[in-house]
Amino acid sequence: MSQFVVNIIHRPEMVPEYAEKVTGHGKAEDLGRKALLTESLDIFKTQQQLAHENGLKTTIQMTYASLFNDEAVELAKEDHAKYGDEIALSLLGLPCKEFREKYQTKDFCIWMFSMEDKKAIVTDVFEKFHERFGFYPESTGSYYMDADLINFIKEKYPSVKCAVATCWEEGPKAYHTCNNSWYTFMDGGPWAPWIPSKVNTHAPAANEEEDSGIVAIPHLSRDLIACYDGNGSNFGTHPQNVLRGMIYDTETWEYPYLYNLIDQYRYQEKFNNGYAYNMMFVGPGWMNKMGRWESPYELLKKSYSDGCAYYGKLKKEGKLLDLTMSEFADFYRAKKHYTEPECALWRDILYGSDKQLFWYCDPNMRACVNMDQGGAIVDLRPYAAKLYWPVGIGTPHVTDASYPFLIQEKYRAGYFTHYAGEGTIRSAKLCHNGEEVDLALCRTKAHFSQEGSDRVLTLDPVEVVFSDLTVKLQTVITFREGDSSIRIDRHILEMSDPEAEVDINEYMVGCYGTTEYAEDMTSLTLSAVKGEGAVSLPYEYKCREVSIPGADRVSCTLPPIQTKVSLLGEGPEKAGYFKEGYAFSPMFTLGYTGKLCEKEVFTTWLKLERAN
Amino acid sequence: MAQAGKGKLNYRCPSCFMRDLDIDMFYDSDKGEYYCIRCQYTGTEEDVLAKNQLARFRYRDMMKRFSMEDFETFDK
Repeated sequence: MSQFVVNIIHRPEMVPEYAEKVTGHGKAEDLGRKALLTESLDIFKTQQQLAHENGLKTTIQMTYASLFNDEAVELAKEDHAKYGDEIALSLLGLPCKEFREKYQTKDFCIWMFSMEDKKAIVTDVFEKFHERFGFYPESTGSYYMDADLINFIKEKYPSVKCAVATCWEEGPKAYHTCNNSWYTFMDGGPWAPWIPSKVNTHAPAANEEEDSGIVAIPHLSRDLIACYDGNGSNFGTHPQNVLRGMIYDTETWEYPYLYNLIDQYRYQEKFNNGYAYNMMFVGPGWMNKMGRWESPYELLKKSYSDGCAYYGKLKKEGKLLDLTMSEFADFYRAKKHYTEPECALWRDILYGSDKQLFWYCDPNMRACVNMDQGGAIVDLRPYAAKLYWPVGIGTPHVTDASYPFLIQEKYRAGYFTHYAGEGTIRSAKLCHNGEEVDLALCRTKAHFSQEGSDRVLTLDPVEVVFSDLTVKLQTVITFREGDSSIRIDRHILEMSDPEAEVDINEYMVGCYGTTEYAEDMTSLTLSAVKGEGAVSLPYEYKCREVSIPGADRVSCTLPPIQTKVSLLGEGPEKAGYFKEGYAFSPMFTLGYTGKLCEKEVFTTWLKLERAN
Repeated sequence: MAQAGKGKLNYRCPSCFMRDLDIDMFYDSDKGEYYCIRCQYTGTEEDVLAKNQLARFRYRDMMKRFSMEDFETFDK
């Protein structure tokens, strides 16, 4: 029996985010407009019908607005009784006449309110739900749920065990795509379900003590290459997202990409002990009768119908479990343990590039390895710090809910920079007789294996060609469960001159932040340790470098994100070094150099810790 | 000259779409053209549809159906 799970979620959103803007063009705003309410409910009914026709159970996430609508409440009760749908409560869909009058604001994202308002709104919405249904919900959610919000909900309404808690990589890229007007900054989280820690939603709990008490699911299952590269809202298990991306044939209205995306998620069972997950959650505004994203209503509806039909087909073939959110929470807790990582070996299924990434997520880190760049680490989030990052009005981060990065190749450059400076990346260089080759330019592929508590990524060997020497090198990257380090072994398999020697330079260029723009680096400290001795340097943008032969470790401490990152090395003639950046290159570099002959190995560990 | 409005189906600017920017265009009924307020693109409905087709150039596997065996098989 397959353990590929889908959660299908519908919300009767009486004032859909998009519908009001679209249908209302040329009209003054009127949230109570009858035509809008009728259309919204009709779309919800259609979505429910399409799921049920295909034998699929849904989770009905009642919105605040829908709790004031008798028909919506009755529909939910009927479908719960007839189809076993779960009646849950969404913290999306707050805007309605009643909400506006009561809270006197147009804010609608629960994580952006002040803590005082969050508590008032949650209490209001949950009590209203109880008034209408006679019980409290077991599932809730929004696009993002900050840790303080989850903790409050769990304390006051312990029945809640599942929540939609983030949109994967919906951050600055989504903001730009929406003409700098969509303030959902929540990069850096898991792409698949997880148990959030009490301190930071994005960072998974490492043990029972850190457990927030809920199972979190992502809002949609997104393409792990296309969404990292570009607009998240074009590449997910949301059929109208695929239309928004124009990823369909305009003549035949076919979109095999949607099915490829679902299937590649199914394929992830191979890397996660036989389990994989999908989530489909389409708000009514996306099936607007007026059409949207150049698509007429008929195409919008067809795509949703086809999406349901495909999941329904998989279910009939015994390849899918359709669970409600609360059922999934129970399934997940029975299936996974705290330190068990989520892994994804993901290939390009859209652009024809053959590019391949590996994503790894556990309570200590989220990391992305790019095989098209020789296995370089191109994104790194230090969850080991369990950074407390309050969000909303009255906090230092009103809208920015992203978990900070140490490496982000799109926002802070990766291998390529324009003439000067360096970009964030964890890679290595081979040097020979004055020539230098970065492994980031050696395109390769990876193979996954699980060896005890290790998840091992073995890369196909690459050839590094110097003018008088060819070196065949293989990279093996190991993530050990429960450990906060990434081990990288570089094996010299062959050299055209077996007596030759090459220099290796293992390095990480890092910084910190959540956006494209540089942060103040002056609170950082670089250090190198050898035995009892240590050298430390406060970051002053002075472009200084320190190298210590035989160093035990080199580190950088980053107080703004309470993180310490270190590099440890083992190999012939090793020397640890660090480099301070400068104003035009506000980065730091940690590295190890060494010398390698044929059949020798150089090993490094990149270690993440909480700084204090 | 009357004010512009949204045309049918809320056509986005194809030029901005190609730089990952979704912005609805407005329709100038006097000129019979859509125009972008973010960049200098203007065009008839026919031109918009043609440019949208052009934007698909990057999706080389858009119509390819992958099998479960294809996800770790390359260079086919």
